[in-house]
Amino acid sequence: MNNGPVIFLGLFFSMAISWVAFVLGPQAQLAGLQPARTVAPVPAGYPNPRPGLAQQGELVYRASGCVYCHTEQVRPKELGSDLARGWGVRRSVAHDYIYDQIVLLGTQRLGPDLANAGLRMDAMAVLLRLWDPRTVNHLDAGHSIMPAYKYLFDVRKIGRAPSPEALVAAPNWAAPAGYEIVPRPAARALAAYVANLRQEAYLFEAPPPPGSPAANVLTTATNAPAGETNAPAGGTNGPAAGSGVPALPGGTNVSAPQTTNAAVK
Amino acid sequence: MSVTAAPSPTPVAAAVSRTEREATGAVPILGLFAGAAVWLLLALLLALLCSLKLHDPAFLASGPMFTYGRVHAAAEAALLYGFGVPAALGVGLWLLCRLGRTRLAGPVVAAVGALGWNAAVAAGVWAILRGGGSGYEAFEMPGAVAPLLLLSYVLMGICGVLTFRQREAGALYPSQWFVFGALFWFAWIFSTAALLLLGSPARGVLQASVNWWYEHNLETVFFGLAGLAPIFYFVPKLTGRPLHSYDQAALAFWMLVLAGSWGGIPGGAPLPAWLVSVSLVGTVLTIIPIAAVAMNLYRTMAGARPAAEARACLRFTGAGLFFWVIAGAQQAAGALPPVGALTDFTLFTTAQRDLFRYGFVGMTMFGAIYYIAPRLAAAKSGAPDGLWKGWLTQWHFGLMLAGVAAGYVSLLAGGVWQGVELQNPAQAFAAVMRGSMMGLRLSLLEPWLLTLGLIAFLLNFALLLNGCRAGGRREKPGGPRPRKEGA
Repeated sequence: MNNGPVIFLGLFFSMAISWVAFVLGPQAQLAGLQPARTVAPVPAGYPNPRPGLAQQGELVYRASGCVYCHTEQVRPKELGSDLARGWGVRRSVAHDYIYDQIVLLGTQRLGPDLANAGLRMDAMAVLLRLWDPRTVNHLDAGHSIMPAYKYLFDVRKIGRAPSPEALVAAPNWAAPAGYEIVPRPAARALAAYVANLRQEAYLFEAPPPPGSPAANVLTTATNAPAGETNAPAGGTNGPAAGSGVPALPGGTNVSAPQTTNAAVK
Repeated sequence: MSVTAAPSPTPVAAAVSRTEREATGAVPILGLFAGAAVWLLLALLLALLCSLKLHDPAFLASGPMFTYGRVHAAAEAALLYGFGVPAALGVGLWLLCRLGRTRLAGPVVAAVGALGWNAAVAAGVWAILRGGGSGYEAFEMPGAVAPLLLLSYVLMGICGVLTFRQREAGALYPSQWFVFGALFWFAWIFSTAALLLLGSPARGVLQASVNWWYEHNLETVFFGLAGLAPIFYFVPKLTGRPLHSYDQAALAFWMLVLAGSWGGIPGGAPLPAWLVSVSLVGTVLTIIPIAAVAMNLYRTMAGARPAAEARACLRFTGAGLFFWVIAGAQQAAGALPPVGALTDFTLFTTAQRDLFRYGFVGMTMFGAIYYIAPRLAAAKSGAPDGLWKGWLTQWHFGLMLAGVAAGYVSLLAGGVWQGVELQNPAQAFAAVMRGSMMGLRLSLLEPWLLTLGLIAFLLNFALLLNGCRAGGRREKPGGPRPRKEGA
């Protein structure tokens, strides 16, 4: 160990091994991923590129540091209670992210996982939480440690024509009388992004649980548009009745996602 | 591998020229330390703000600049890139000079590099607060700043490599391998991350794997090597014992760069299963270098009675070593799937990171700075060194130790509780978070205590520089305490 060049070579090869394994290897395996054929052939190819507004929202998500409290990855059944908690219908896999420009999976959960936020909330529900998490999120009233993002909104006197984008009243929240709360473009983009987060298609590497209805009957219910799978705005946490239930493909434990859905923030 | 002499014995004839040699590097190295301390203050204030916002989310919530996510990112960037890397570089450059018995090569280049680095960090932290952060954990610097950081690093790194090359002939001491390895490692991982996250971003989850690989290598390998280098130097030197075993040191070194560089991928991540497994194996194998270092240094210092002057530095260094062992063992334990299933994504991870960053990197760097700074200041100004105010040093150590311990214990307890509670899906996530608020509240002590301790250090540092300047001008002999040279 007294020879500089030898030490250098040793370091070089150690680094090279690590680099090949952790940088080059996954690159070779995953860089060419194409949209998958789904096991349940629901959205014919999966995933689909995010709409433009949601792509902009990805930038707001990054700039606001959302990743320091929220992950975007659902772990498999053996690791943690993510699935039992209703944070997803299956584990997250590499395919889910191929169209994302900025992939922030996160390593800290001070708030719930958001990989499937779009299955639980629509954009309006996201906006209400951004405006005031403590008041609006009645499941955690007064306790949520999520900061309010009021600077993403304008408080306006209602003029002759109320803004169609203004926040709608929630069960325990309403805008001050005579005023409306209008999200700024950044807020709308962020909400569009979060509401677009949904990893619902079953894939070869993330199949439906064996024996579940979804595994046998390739129902088209998973393709239901957002309006049907999600509870309506404002009442997002209410039990998703009717059409909401079959839309969740985790058929075997229909009741479990339902109860946890109510528990999920 | 031959057994070399204890680090840097001091022949009488060399004493004068050593002062001269050290004077060469005084400006860039002291500059790096001063900048690091100021950045640490800023990082702690931002971390304090983060903690406060977890207790009262409405605090300073009126604008985007001080929203939790941005402040958190800025605090992390200031800590890692403002404090950690420059402090590690300053200590590393000094060790290369001291152990190679040579001058710092290219002090002007190093000073320019240090200036450029600090300017880049300033621009980066400002950009993060303005919403321009990259969003990648431990790599938040925006794309426009990363090249300047890399360039500044290369300037300083080249000085390090040249200093290493012009060393006096003779056996290499372990600290030299460690510094050399750290210099090399950072350049490679940072340029990879800059290219694949900011330059031409990798596709999909590859960003996550690059990001995790980078963070793991930055902490486990770069900071690990950079922090162990002064530990391996100061423990034998200040206890007056020769290093117990060079073979164990070599084993630790190679295992750390081989196994330590594999890791960082959480179990269950949406990445190929083999990658998760390799990461797991590498992380668990880091137990070997941890055990080797711990045994080696324990045998080196057991029973030693260090001189009073050496204790200030040795206390920090010893605490840093202790926290490195704990943090490393926790990291290896957390990588095991049954443990990780509970503890991943909880405060358990936060506890480990904070312990590593403040407890290991912080303590080790301050231990080294307490030894190095007065000698450099004295070499430069010609005044006698040893001008630290002993009571301020003690306050710094006590506050820092209390802060690290309080933060660690409360976050660890909160994290384990959180992990166990979250296993039960009937337990609502929001309720679990409410329950773990106690741990978060107690951990607020950490930034407070660390900030107070750091203020003691800054005061001490200012007095030191001022005393040396005054001493050099008026040739006034004598600080409050005489200098004790060598082991």
